[in-house]
Amino acid sequence: MRRFIYVVALFAGCASQPEQPREPGPAPAPEAQQLPAPPPERVPPPRAETTAVAGLMDSARTDTAAGRLTNAAATLERALRIEPRNARLWHELALVRFRQGDYAQAESLAARSNTLAGSDAELRSANQRLIDDARSARR
Amino acid sequence: MARRTKLRKFLRFALLATLLAAAGFTLFLDIRVRDEFEGRRFALPARIYARPLELHVGLRMPQADVLDELKLLGYRDIPRPGEPGWYLREENRLEIALRPFVFWDGAQPARSVSVAFEGGKVSMLRDAAGTDVPLARVEPLAIGGIYPAGNEDRVLVRLTEVPQHLVQALVAVEDRSFYRHAGFDVRGLARAVRSLFTDRVQGGSTITQQLVKNFFLTPERTIRRKATELVMAVLLEIHYDKNEILETYLNEIYFGQDRDRAIHGVGLAAQFYFGKDVQYLSVAESALLVAMIRGPAHYDPYKHPARTLERRNLVLRETREQGQISLEQYAAARSSPLGVTRKSGMGTSPYPAFLKLVHRQLRRDYDEKDLRSEGLRIFTTLDPRAQGAAENALTKRLAQFDKEKRFGQPGLEGAVVITDPQSGEVQAMVGGRDVRYSGYNRALDAGRPVGSLLKPAIYLTALSEPSRYTLLTPIDDGPFLWKSRGAPDWEPLNYDKKFHGMVPLRLALAHSYNAAAARLGTDLGVEKVLANVRKLGVERDVRPFASSMLGAVDMSPFEVAQMYQTIASGGFRAPLRSIREVTTQDGKPLQRYPLAIEQAFPPEPIYLLAAAMQDVVREGTGQGLKSYLPPEVAVAGKTGTTDEQRDAWFAGFSGDRLAVVWVGYDDNRAARLSGSAAALPIWGDLMSALSPEPLALARPPSIEMVSIDPQSGLRGGVSCPGAVELPFMQGSAPQERAPCSGPMDAAVEAAGEVGQAVSKGVERAKSWLERLFGR
Repeated sequence: MRRFIYVVALFAGCASQPEQPREPGPAPAPEAQQLPAPPPERVPPPRAETTAVAGLMDSARTDTAAGRLTNAAATLERALRIEPRNARLWHELALVRFRQGDYAQAESLAARSNTLAGSDAELRSANQRLIDDARSARR
Repeated sequence: MARRTKLRKFLRFALLATLLAAAGFTLFLDIRVRDEFEGRRFALPARIYARPLELHVGLRMPQADVLDELKLLGYRDIPRPGEPGWYLREENRLEIALRPFVFWDGAQPARSVSVAFEGGKVSMLRDAAGTDVPLARVEPLAIGGIYPAGNEDRVLVRLTEVPQHLVQALVAVEDRSFYRHAGFDVRGLARAVRSLFTDRVQGGSTITQQLVKNFFLTPERTIRRKATELVMAVLLEIHYDKNEILETYLNEIYFGQDRDRAIHGVGLAAQFYFGKDVQYLSVAESALLVAMIRGPAHYDPYKHPARTLERRNLVLRETREQGQISLEQYAAARSSPLGVTRKSGMGTSPYPAFLKLVHRQLRRDYDEKDLRSEGLRIFTTLDPRAQGAAENALTKRLAQFDKEKRFGQPGLEGAVVITDPQSGEVQAMVGGRDVRYSGYNRALDAGRPVGSLLKPAIYLTALSEPSRYTLLTPIDDGPFLWKSRGAPDWEPLNYDKKFHGMVPLRLALAHSYNAAAARLGTDLGVEKVLANVRKLGVERDVRPFASSMLGAVDMSPFEVAQMYQTIASGGFRAPLRSIREVTTQDGKPLQRYPLAIEQAFPPEPIYLLAAAMQDVVREGTGQGLKSYLPPEVAVAGKTGTTDEQRDAWFAGFSGDRLAVVWVGYDDNRAARLSGSAAALPIWGDLMSALSPEPLALARPPSIEMVSIDPQSGLRGGVSCPGAVELPFMQGSAPQERAPCSGPMDAAVEAAGEVGQAVSKGVERAKSWLERLFGR
């Protein structure tokens, strides 16, 4: 059931693509590509308050999947300007930074997400795992 | 006889030498012409943009403010079908024909959207077909440039973008035989030669000659210069075709001044005078631009409309005589008004203080030369709406203060910084009351004592030790004397010259009691407090004196904003940024300045501090804000006043904006200023103009809310009059019940605890089930 809802949410996101097709962004930094990415199933599904942010989140995920991490980060920052208290957005940005190899930022952003997560235990534990991963990657 | 031969020989030699010299000179000119014309790239200023306005349902922005931004962007309130850049207002609705724009992440074509407003927010957003649109980006306002020598500004255009009727009008008026001549026109030349001897204004230069003149030569009028111009014009014609010459001419030509900025080329002229891209120029508008070429100051459509209209009509008549426009076109154009937009008078920038910040941040990564010539596009964080609110609030209040002489003689100065508390983006910066003046930037460069603005660092240090300090801990506000080696004795007095005995910690901050803060700070340790000042983001050296804690430290409003940013964002320090992205001239991304944060403090003490700073506004020195903002906005802030009342400060934040205001005299004279009387009204004015989002602090799970009886400072409840809910680190709240608190309160509290336990249990069970069955 949960998985089904997730898939529906994903498609709903696709339907509300906010902008025109974007130009391919600059290639991610070479060192970023060799880094192990956290398994995607550990990421909690996006939850957005507005359709604007839902669309941006979705396009950020598309960019992330295609390796356009710079664009994904820019899009998430754009979404954060609309919903700065959305703990899931901070988490998504932390994930992108992790994939870019910026573990310090990944850790800070996940911690920021935690301070806004309220009673979202699922998100809290995802953040904690990301923080742990980032710490061990920095060592 | 022999002498004659000698003479002839000499003459022959002289002729040969002259010819050789002429040939050499021509060759030299030829190299110069080719070199410069081919290698010539116009030096293009870095173009700086504000943040783009993002329209979406739920946006907190009233219709009037959206209209203001569209007007700043040069949108007109008349529909122009087939052309973007206008809006139509119908009550609470707005139809906008958005212009196309190349953003950092790609091009966005022109599109029409329909927006509805309700209760100061966007309530609906649809496209032309009536489909809901999640997000629509309006193109950003150009807020200035970093200009090459002479502040030359231009927007390059291709000949194919320029409307045919503009070219036709140009040729008809400036150079009829342009497409036939070889660089010069014999009749024109004759006229020019005559003008050398009479004193009349010279005319008759071909387009090619005019280009050579603007490009390579100084404006003196000598035979030699005229000859050089002629040779170079011919050489130009030999090497390049008519279209190349015309395109360069159209981009080079001068169209007047915008204050200190020189308008060059038809691309920029179209934008500056008509608020549109060149391809959308009408016949009449094109004719006006051609009319101005002869003398942009003489035919200035703002200063001399009648004279300019007459010349425009002359241009139209000549174009018509050449058979280039139809009689209908001619008649329609002739009867139309000049049609220039309301002059914005931007100069090199309408926001010089903010631009200085951008320029400074850019210089860390770019060469000054590249900034002035490569046409980089800089996307910044400036929010024109916040900037406008800050400018209005500061200028109006300072004018009023001067008139009333309430704080001292006229001549007060001030500065404002507004940022986004979550991301650290700088939204507005005002460097003084003359907001267009590009000199001294007080927001960035005026280091002034900050007074009580540093107190939050003392209280933060205390609240970081929950076993010793809560918001209720009594602090002694009795007379205080501090002796330390190497520093003079320090005996801080309160603003009201009184001492208040034992006061709860949160009220000591709310009322900004100096003796209490000094005692608390020295108890905690000066070093410890000042270390937290640094952790909050203050980078300049603070002398390790006790008096530093009470603000005997010089800081700029920008630095104060950086410090308060860390409090406003839950303990995460984010370097203040003014730039988001940089692209090349044609939109290729070069660099991003990403959001970067660092956790400087755990969330709990920051939460307690921010709650205490809300009390500053609710019941302390910031109470004056009640007449500016509704109580539910619950902003947090702090006043600052310095020795002999020389400086007035207010720094604070709502859910979506952080602002710092400073007021004082440039010569640092003693006055009667205070944070609450002089800086707070400006802060209140600008915030209320921005319909701020309420400040809902994110409460960490380890913080509990407890009802407190203000009389006894013990656990209260509904039965205690005036009981307040206060946050405590779990386990740090008083256990004892106040006498007013009845059995009902205890029961309610117990029920609350049971409820919390139950919900926690459910949460735990849920995650256990999830683990069991997977997601």
